[in-house]
Amino acid sequence: MKLKWLKAATVAALIATIGLGSVQAPAKTEAASKLSGKIVINGSSALLPLTLQAANEFKKLNPKVKISASGAGSITGPQSVRKGIADIGAVDWDATKKVPGFEAFTGQVANKVAVTPFAAVVNKNVTATNLTTKQLQDIFSGKVTNWKEVGGKDADIIVVNRAFGSGTRVNFQEKALNGTDFMTKGSNYKEVKTSGDMKTAVETTPNAIGYVDFAYITTKMTAVSINGVAPTVDNVINGKYKVWGYGYYMTKGQPTGVVKEFIQYIQSAKFQNGSLKKLKFIPLSAMK
Amino acid sequence: MIDTSSAAGQIDLGGSLLTGSGKPFDRRKRLFVMNRLFRYVCIACAAFVCLILFLILLLMFRTGVLTFGDVSFSEFFLSAEWSPETEQYGALLFIFGTFALTLLTLMISVPLSLLIAVFLSTFIPAWLKNVLRPVMDLLVGIPSVVYGYLGLTVLIPIIRDVTGTGMGDGLLAAALVLTIMVLPTISRISDDSISAVPKKFSDASYALGATRFQTVWKVLIPSARSGIMYAVILGMARAIGETMAVVMVIGNTPQIADSLLKPTSVLTSNIVMQIANVPFDSTWNYALYLMGFLLLAISLLMIVGVRWLQRKGAQQ
Repeated sequence: MKLKWLKAATVAALIATIGLGSVQAPAKTEAASKLSGKIVINGSSALLPLTLQAANEFKKLNPKVKISASGAGSITGPQSVRKGIADIGAVDWDATKKVPGFEAFTGQVANKVAVTPFAAVVNKNVTATNLTTKQLQDIFSGKVTNWKEVGGKDADIIVVNRAFGSGTRVNFQEKALNGTDFMTKGSNYKEVKTSGDMKTAVETTPNAIGYVDFAYITTKMTAVSINGVAPTVDNVINGKYKVWGYGYYMTKGQPTGVVKEFIQYIQSAKFQNGSLKKLKFIPLSAMK
Repeated sequence: MIDTSSAAGQIDLGGSLLTGSGKPFDRRKRLFVMNRLFRYVCIACAAFVCLILFLILLLMFRTGVLTFGDVSFSEFFLSAEWSPETEQYGALLFIFGTFALTLLTLMISVPLSLLIAVFLSTFIPAWLKNVLRPVMDLLVGIPSVVYGYLGLTVLIPIIRDVTGTGMGDGLLAAALVLTIMVLPTISRISDDSISAVPKKFSDASYALGATRFQTVWKVLIPSARSGIMYAVILGMARAIGETMAVVMVIGNTPQIADSLLKPTSVLTSNIVMQIANVPFDSTWNYALYLMGFLLLAISLLMIVGVRWLQRKGAQQ
């Protein structure tokens, strides 16, 4: 007797939910755009916060478009585009040109979307927060192993590096270390996969040093000044802080359809001067 | 065989679900076809699974063997220098790391699980057993990435404080995480095999005046020996193949671990760190596939060993 009543109640509730849901839908689709399609974005974890934010806003304006984004390291971007797995490959360097360690990807078009600033970061307990280029080179190549050699406490330096394939690593090596090789072994050296892992590692390991883009810097770590220049967006724009690079979206040939609309949305002045700035990236127009 | 070829009005003895109004001859043929079809469908399913295994082995082997076009056999297996940017592909440090980690895990987990198994089978009241056994099964079901994350956030700071080193990563952290993952497996299967020892063995032992400890140590455990070996090998297979939990706590530095607290790398963690980043048709990619094939081969060898031990145990 009770079971029959319960079953009837469940069925009634289901019908009510479905009914209400379908009644609301027509009211929303009046203002929505007719653009529809699917975009898959792979690649840089440094650009991932930007991609996710743009995807959210784009989906609100065009509810029929499905966007899925992931970040496993810059090199996976152009590789996925080449294999046909992804429509857009987010990468922290221009993949149509050769950079140290990576060949050029032919047949793809690089679309600039943002200016990504990078910073060296240290754990909150490190007191040496102003380092010269030479000191950074020595730390990351393993020549200097104790914080007291660069003006900090007497403690071993824990170096956290990104794995091969990372665009952040390519940019940091070129712009902050002027091409010096990273160390590859040592008892105080570890490698992590993505920008998110780097953030966690530096936050939780005392005496650690690593590098990320500005979007990942939190209050639990300290961004290091390089050669006396503080890592701020203004210093990048006025040219004093040199550790930055362009973020690109690679596409197979010129972008068309939904992909083109999405890239144009990110490059539009509204997005560049609004959400992009809030995430601590820099609009393309700001760099001369 | 019942004679069904006589008059159509005859009642069919032991009638089947396919009773229809057609001639008995059609029904018999239908049954025949159904039986045969069912048999072929089962064979096809089994063959399909075997085919998948075979194809996986083939693909890994075919891609992995391409490594030997650029890297010599001895360099891959005997050199400890893994530096693909400078064309050095020595996988010895990963093989060493995998075996060292598994050995360390077994050294910690086997004594512990054996004691737990003895407790579960001999000393425990029945009501507590019904509580503990599901607890063990739940532990087995926790996803490995959860163990890895807990290791990263809870275990490594503890190791750092206790040993005073800069980083807590390394073989010790990974072995502790793997121990917790492997312990329920080994203890449950050992418990089952110790419980399966015939009661007359322990009865005879007590009748001869043995203490409980003597009975367990000298009668029960030796009798359950092959079952315990089976449990240990199963645990070892899980430890060797574990990836996510290990990659979060082991440090991923390509160097041989000469200390328990030095960051190092094993076959599984190296593959997951590097496979997405390498160009598709480069020697680096082939070398990673070869490492994957090595893992596959080791796992298969262990499963064959387990089957052999099971057969030996059943014969005893």
